[in-house]
Order: sequence, then structure tokens, then C-alpha cells
Amino acid sequence: MTNIAQARIKREFKEVVKSDEVAACNITLELVDDKYNELIGKIAGPPDTPYAEGTFCLEIRIPETYPFNPPIVKFLTKIWHPNISSVTGAICLDILKDQWAAAMTLRTVLLSLQALLAAAEPDDPQDAVVAQQYKENYSIFEKTAKHWTAVYAGGPKSCPELDSKITSLKNMGFDENQARAALSSKGWDIERATEYLIN
Amino acid sequence: MGYDLHRFQGDVDEELICPICSCVLEEPLQAPQCEHAFCAGCIHEWLTRQPTCPVDRSPIMPNQLKPVPRILRNLLSRLMIACDNVNYGCTTVVKLDTLQTHIQECEHNPKKPVTCESGCGLTIPKDELKDHNCVRELRSNMTTMQHKIQDMSSEMAEQKLQLSEQKRDIQLLKEYLRSVRISNPRIREIQTTIENEDVLRWVSNLQTARVTRWGGMISTPDAVLQAVIKRALLDSGSPAHIVNELMENAHERRWPTGLSTLETRQLNRRQYENYVTKRIPGKQAVAIMACENQHMPDDLIMEPGLVMIFAHGVE
Repeated sequence: MTNIAQARIKREFKEVVKSDEVAACNITLELVDDKYNELIGKIAGPPDTPYAEGTFCLEIRIPETYPFNPPIVKFLTKIWHPNISSVTGAICLDILKDQWAAAMTLRTVLLSLQALLAAAEPDDPQDAVVAQQYKENYSIFEKTAKHWTAVYAGGPKSCPELDSKITSLKNMGFDENQARAALSSKGWDIERATEYLIN
Repeated sequence: MGYDLHRFQGDVDEELICPICSCVLEEPLQAPQCEHAFCAGCIHEWLTRQPTCPVDRSPIMPNQLKPVPRILRNLLSRLMIACDNVNYGCTTVVKLDTLQTHIQECEHNPKKPVTCESGCGLTIPKDELKDHNCVRELRSNMTTMQHKIQDMSSEMAEQKLQLSEQKRDIQLLKEYLRSVRISNPRIREIQTTIENEDVLRWVSNLQTARVTRWGGMISTPDAVLQAVIKRALLDSGSPAHIVNELMENAHERRWPTGLSTLETRQLNRRQYENYVTKRIPGKQAVAIMACENQHMPDDLIMEPGLVMIFAHGVE
């Protein structure tokens, strides 16, 4: 890693650790090792959203050309969101692509991601299935997103009805995560989800 | 990339930090409209990717960047910074604007050029002195030199070849010109005019000479003396086509009847003062050109002119 990238990350790491957001447990940043090219970020789900009270982990990789190129960020915690892949955790956010600017920092990236959780952009989706659900049936989307937050991000238990549907698919011999993904993308219709899983 | 913050004494104002490298600004430049300042290296690197301000994305072209205001430069130059060689034992802390001067003289600089005193006398970076081996160093120098010599000699051979080709071409062209001149009287006339004008231009540039001792004339100069005068004629810019003729006319055997023997010279002695003589630069010799001496009797001048060499007495 070039000196400039390392110097920047060292300084930014301190900036995040010292910041007010950390005090409020909104965002945190940890180093994976002492090479300053890989970090784990954590952001709290914004209140009054389906992600409230959840904690979402992010994998942050720093390219050698940082800060001239953006950090490479993806969600490690599974999440149901139109701009984040429910399968890979890949993020669709302009500042992580062509709208990156060299003066942005890891702190601004984490805050932007938090803002993205509060304000999805279904018209510029990363996960087309989630985006379609968001636009066509917001109440199911909200229920699903809350459920995923509860299961994967330590959010509050929400809807026992959904848990029982997953259990019934589990009893049919399907993997729990696959069952949840199938049910989520099929609007929690057990028949369609089963069909999808079999195919 | 700017200067690492840790090297500075005391706190550094946020305004003096480059938003790109997050170090203290080095050779700062500012954006035209928003006036955000960056290290020159950092902002140029960024602009190769995107023509926008890294802070607020306002458009910037590289040629629009301008120096930061004097006040910012002054604030920067007043910062106290530790020497680059702090890890090599230098404890000096200087003002930022004198850092470069200090580094050049810093005794702790591992790259400071020093002269080897164990024989070879080469100048080498200080940190390499410990592993320095005069013989090895000189040998590698010699190999480099040999390569250079090889390259140069092959280049020279190539040039010689080109030169001989060009000489042949020139020869061919001369042959061609001569045959054209012979077959076409008009071209011959033009050629003559050009040659005459060359002669006039040359003669008018020469300084008028005054001969004070006509008796010092050497009427039978030897070959060495003639060669010396010929060299001087060529150096003075004399047109090539008349140099040989002039030099042949430097000896009494070719002089006109009024000059060709001691007797006739004695007879015409009083006429000499009427000659228009031109100094051959740096030599005790004059050119007496026919074109400038039409007022003289025919037996005292000749075409295109003659050269008189003296032992002394030319001013």
C-alpha cells in the first residue's frame, strides 16, 4: 500500500474513533490487522426504519490508489434493501463508484450508508427483486426487512407468523437461509417459495 | 503528498491540511471557484481521474489551478518541522520554508553525496560508502564507458557511410550542374553574375589596408607561406571558386607584366600608392582585386585579382 493511502487510513481511523457518532454507538470502525488495508465497519440501523435496532457489519477494503479511488465496501450482515444485494451484500451507492471524491473519508462513507438505509433508492436498484417488492408492496417489504434485521442484525423479534412459515419449509428439508430468501422474494407465499426452491 | 503531521511541533490548523492526503500542504494550489487548497501532487493526481473539486465536486480544469494566497503560504512557512532525517539521528527542527536548504546540508542525510577517500575519488551517497568497493565501482564504470564507446563508434561508422554517400551525391550534382551550364548560355550568365556578386560582397567586407613598406614585398612566397595565406582567405569567407586562382596569383611568375620582374616593379613603383588594397585578416598580406582597381593601368592588374604577401609594413 502506498504511503498516502496508509497515512489517510491511520488518520481517518482516529477520526472515527474520536467522533460523536461513536459515542452514540451509531458507527464503529475496527482494523482487521495492522496493515491498514482492511477494516470492519459497523453501522446502527436508523430509527423509524425496518432496520432500527439492528447492527450491520461492513467489509471495507482499501485499494492501493486510495483516496484517488473509493474504498471497496460490502455488507457482511445479510440485509433486505433495494440497493444492497440480498445474496452478496454488494452495495449500489454512487459515492462508492463514479461520485467518489478524494476528500471523502471512511466516516462519511459509513454515514452515507446509514443514510441509504433510511432512504432507499428503488429506481437505482442493486437487488431487483427487493426493489420490485419495495415499489409494489411496501408493507410486505417492510415486514421482510424487519424480519431480516431481527434474524441477522440482532433487531427486535417482529412477526411470529413469518418464523412459522420458515419452520414449515425447514421441516420439508430445506436450509433455513435458503427458505428465508425464497419466501422473502416470493412475498411469503409458501407454495411459490417451495416451487422456487425445488426448481 | 504533503508533510506528515507528526513532524510538526505544536498543533497545525485544519486549514493547512490537504483534504486528499490529510497531511500538511506541500506546494499548495487552490481550486478556481471554491478556493479549496490541495498539495500540487495530490490535486494533479486526482484531476487525472475526474475534473472536479475533491471536496465539493465543482468543475476544475488542471490549468485553472492557482497559487494559494500569500497569507496561507506565510502560515505554512512559519510551521516548525522536524528534519526528514530524524530517523537517522538528526534532531534539527526548522521553519518549513528553510527545510529544503537544511536537508541539502544535513549531515544525517543518508543520501548526502560524499567523495570516496580510499582511492577511486568517486562521489557516492553516504549510506553506500560502507559497502563501497573502488575496484567494483570503477569496473562497472569502465563497462558502461565501453558500451558508450561501442555505441559511439557504431554511430560514427554509420555517419561516415552517410557522409560518403552524400559526397557522392554532391559530386553527381556538380557534374550535372556543369553539363547544364555548358549546354545553356543563359544559366552560365546567371552563374557568373552570382559568382561576381559573391566576390563583391566578400571584398566589401574586408578592411582597407595601407601598405607602408612596399619594399617588404615577398614576390616569391614558398608553399608553406602560401598555405597559411590560403587558410586565412578561406577563414575570411572568400568565395571558394576564386581562392585557388587568387593563391596562384600570389607569386611573381603569374603577375602581370608591370609587376612580374624586379625591373618593371622598380619602374612602376610610384603607381603602387594608387592601388585599392584589402587586408587579408590577421596576415601581412593584401588582396588587390581587379573589380576595385579599374583605374589602374592594365599591366598592373589581373582578373579576378592578385595577392601580395609582405614581410612587414601592412597596416
